[in-house]
Formats: sequence, C-alpha cells, structure tokens
Amino acid sequence: MELHQVRYFLAVASTLNFTRAAEQCNVTQPALTKAVQKLEQELGGQLIYRERQLTQLTDLGKEVLPMLERTLASAEAVRRRALEFQRKDVAPLKIGLAPSISASLILDPIAEIAKFVPGLHVELREGAAKKLVDLLLEGEINAAMVGDVQDMPDRIDDWSLFEERYVAVLAPTHRLANRPSIGIDDLRETVLLERTDCDVAVKIQQSYFPEEPPHLGHCSGHDLHLQHMAAAGFGVILAPEHMPRLPTLKTIPLEGCPVSREVRLLAVQGRRYSPALDAFVKVARLRDWSFEAADRSVPHATAATVARVPA
Amino acid sequence: MTTTRTPPADRLQSIDSQPDNSPPMPSQTDKTLARMRTELMTTFSAADWESYNHLVGWLRDTGVASHALKVGDDAPDFLLPDADGRLHSSEQLRRNGPLVLSFFRGGWCPFCTAELYALQAAKDQFESVGATLAVVTPETRDFPRQLKRSLGLELRVLSDVDYGVAMSYGVLFRVPDETKAHYSGLGFDFGARHGSSTWMLPIPATYVIGGEGRIRSAFVEPDFTIREEPSQILASLRRVTSTSR
Repeated sequence: MELHQVRYFLAVASTLNFTRAAEQCNVTQPALTKAVQKLEQELGGQLIYRERQLTQLTDLGKEVLPMLERTLASAEAVRRRALEFQRKDVAPLKIGLAPSISASLILDPIAEIAKFVPGLHVELREGAAKKLVDLLLEGEINAAMVGDVQDMPDRIDDWSLFEERYVAVLAPTHRLANRPSIGIDDLRETVLLERTDCDVAVKIQQSYFPEEPPHLGHCSGHDLHLQHMAAAGFGVILAPEHMPRLPTLKTIPLEGCPVSREVRLLAVQGRRYSPALDAFVKVARLRDWSFEAADRSVPHATAATVARVPA
Repeated sequence: MTTTRTPPADRLQSIDSQPDNSPPMPSQTDKTLARMRTELMTTFSAADWESYNHLVGWLRDTGVASHALKVGDDAPDFLLPDADGRLHSSEQLRRNGPLVLSFFRGGWCPFCTAELYALQAAKDQFESVGATLAVVTPETRDFPRQLKRSLGLELRVLSDVDYGVAMSYGVLFRVPDETKAHYSGLGFDFGARHGSSTWMLPIPATYVIGGEGRIRSAFVEPDFTIREEPSQILASLRRVTSTSR
C-alpha cells in the first residue's frame, strides 16, 4: 500500500467522480484508475462500483475508508509539522472536556506535545458529552474527552483510554465521613448532590436505586460547584476517582466499586489532523492513564500534586 | 502464528499467555534468529501451516512488498509516542548517527518476540558504533507497556498509531480475511490492540537510516518468520559509519 494510492482513493471517495478526483490529485485519469485498481488488489476486493452514471463505494470501500483517512492524516501531519516549524506558525488545539473530566488529566500530554509543536496554543472548552460531539462536528473543537456516551454518531472516532471507579466525596464533618467504605444502604439514606448530565447516572440508578429514586439535593453541571456544596455539608457527591478535590473534602470508596466508567477520546473521522492534534491523539492513546488514577487516592496529596504540575 | 501453548522455549511465549509480573527470562544470544525460526516452526499446528502458507503466498502474489522503500530513498520523518506516551521524532533519533528502525507485528507474535530479544542483546553493539535503535509496533494503549514489562525489554518501543509510518515506508497491508479468521481464532484482537476497526499489519522490516535521513540498508521480507540477523544489521551500520566519516 502506498500513500499516493490512498490519496487517489480518498479523492474518488469524496468526489465519487474519477475525472474530478484526477483533477484534484493533479494526475491523469488512467493513472488514478490504475493506482486505485492496484490498491483494490491489495486490499482484497473492489472498493468502488463503477457504473456508467454511478460511482459508489462498495461495502469494503466503506469499511476501509475511515482507517485509510486516519492513516493518511497521520502520515501527512508529520510533513505539516516540519512546515509549521519553519514558519513558526501558531498551532491551535481546541480540546473539549466533559464536566467530569478534569483538566489535570491532560496537563502532562500538553507539556509533552509542546516540546514538539513549538507554536502550540491550547484552548479548553467544557461541555456535556452531547454538546461536545456537536462542537466536534461543527469544527469548533478538534478533540474531546468524555465518559460514557450514548448514541455516538458514525462520523466520530472513539477510543477508550482508561477505566476508572466512582467514589463518594463529602465534608469531613459528614456523618459518613469516618467510614472505611460507603455501602448501598448508606447512600440510600443520604442526600446526593445531583450532577447535571451525569454520564454514569444510569449506572448509579441501576446499581443503587433500582426501586426507589435517590434523595437528590442541590445540583450543578460543574464539578467545582458540587465540591463547594459538598464541602459546605449540603450532601455527598459521587465523583470519578481521577478528579482533583478541594483540600476540605474527603474521599471514601464505594463498597464493591459497582460504578465505573470508561474515559474516551473523540475526534472527527476524515478530518485533516493538524500536527498538534495528531500528536495529542497519539500521546493520549499510549499514555499510562492508570498511574494518574492511582495517584489520586489521597485527596490532600492530590490537590498539592496537581497544583505543581507545569502546564 | 503458533498457539504458544507448548512453545519450545518458555521465553518465547506471546505476552498474552504470560502472567503479568513474571520476571524476564534470560535471553539466549548464542542462537541466530534463523535457528529460532526453525525451532518455532516445529510448534506449528496444521492450521498454523495453512494460515502461514496462505498469508505468505498472498503477500508474494499481490507484490505488497514492492512498495517498500529501498536503499537510497529518503526516509520519511515521523513523530511517534513510545510505550510510556513520550514522543520521539525521527530527526532526534538520527541526530547523532544512524538509526536502526525495525517494524514488527506485535507482542502476540513469537517471531517478533524472538527478534526483540535478539535486538536487545545486540543493542550495546549498535550503540558502540554510534547508532540508535527503535522498534515500531502497530499496537496502542497498554500493549507496548505490557510487552516491555513481560519480556523485560529495554528497547525504545514506538507505537505507530494509525499505521501512518508503516504506510509511509510502504510496508503496510490489510490482513486478508483468512488470516484474520485464523488469528481471531487464536484470541488475538488486532482491532482492540491497534484501536482500528480494519485489521492492518506491517511486513516485518528493518531499515538503517543514515544521519542525513537517507535509507542505507533495507530488509523487507513478506515471510514474517524471517528477520534480519542483528549481525547483518551491525555490518550495515559499520558500512554506514565508515563511509560517513
């Protein structure tokens, strides 16, 4: 498989027209057709139906398209990085984070890619997963990190990065604060601060409150709001383990750890990857995130550690 | 390829069948890779042989290796994360001398683990002539970390996320359906390992890239059981360093 074959095939896939695809790639149509045929041979089947008036992707063509787009995007991002480097371009990278994903998670990846993408300029946006998917599709953000998502559109690439538990977070003066762990019965009898658009709401409901709904207290879509309210003694929050916490809060594991979720990385299929996005996606997909989660088991130490990580 | 249930030497088990924190087995450096190959192939089941013959035959018939970059070509640059998520650029890797870049199929492949042990054993010699070694896998997530841990590897294992580098070097192919069925049957899910719904693999290949960024030696072999001997790599490195001084 060769880069130019893939480039030609992607041009046909987007134009569904061999003449226009050849123009776009700056080659003669026979040369383009020949390259696509060779690619078809290697991929083990036809990629494109060619009928007189109708050019369409076959099932195999549709299957391999997203992967070939990503592979080409990844190969080309390297070349663009060299150009940006020479021109000292600004390299914007807009990352969306669901409210239950702390920015502390991505500080180290940002520092890592900044070493190789000198003009890196990161913008973080917070939003519920659904909103972030819309922003991705509109091109307002380049990547997003979210928890569990229902109904992911086909055009979104989606990689699981790591799994984490939910824990109970409360004020040290709370009546449950001295328990080694918190059980189902305890939770049923206490006020839970409600997380708007919580991605594990369904799991919590199923594990703890299959019959009777929880006693829900005040609510917010922002983790920090919830933490302040918990610190004031308004109730208990259920929070992902990685989330850094106010030093005035205490973390207690849930008995049996019945609630966990996957943290996922999202990007839009078929989009060009900027060098910054390419590097971010690669680092995120290799990084040892579990270390991060394990590090956060002691809340006081956590707040201090996070504050010291250089951005 | 092999089921790895009864391999000739324990240390060649794929990482899947090893307990997570097992101590690294000592590597035998006295055996050539050709010898290891012969031993590993004695463990092939009938199904392994059939799959092996099919895949190698298919790769030869379709001429997949004909796209591979050759001596004298410019080596495409890259920026890849290692097993810990740290980035490495090709410019950096060849700044101080030639770069040995070896594409392997993954930690599940016993021929790859044999090669990795052999490269690890030869690493000091490569470095003594001023060369840098990096091995490249299509695997992502914690698979490269697991591989390093279970084999006790101290190699720079780069992850070719989304296969862009293997494609740039012309060594990438789509796993044929028959091969896919065979490997799935052995419990290897490349989709999960690579983070890609389409199953792709590199043809194992070893390149020596000069400090100036040109390919100085190329070993590309569609028969995935055959790898370049470290002694040959070392000979290429010596040629490169003697001509560039």
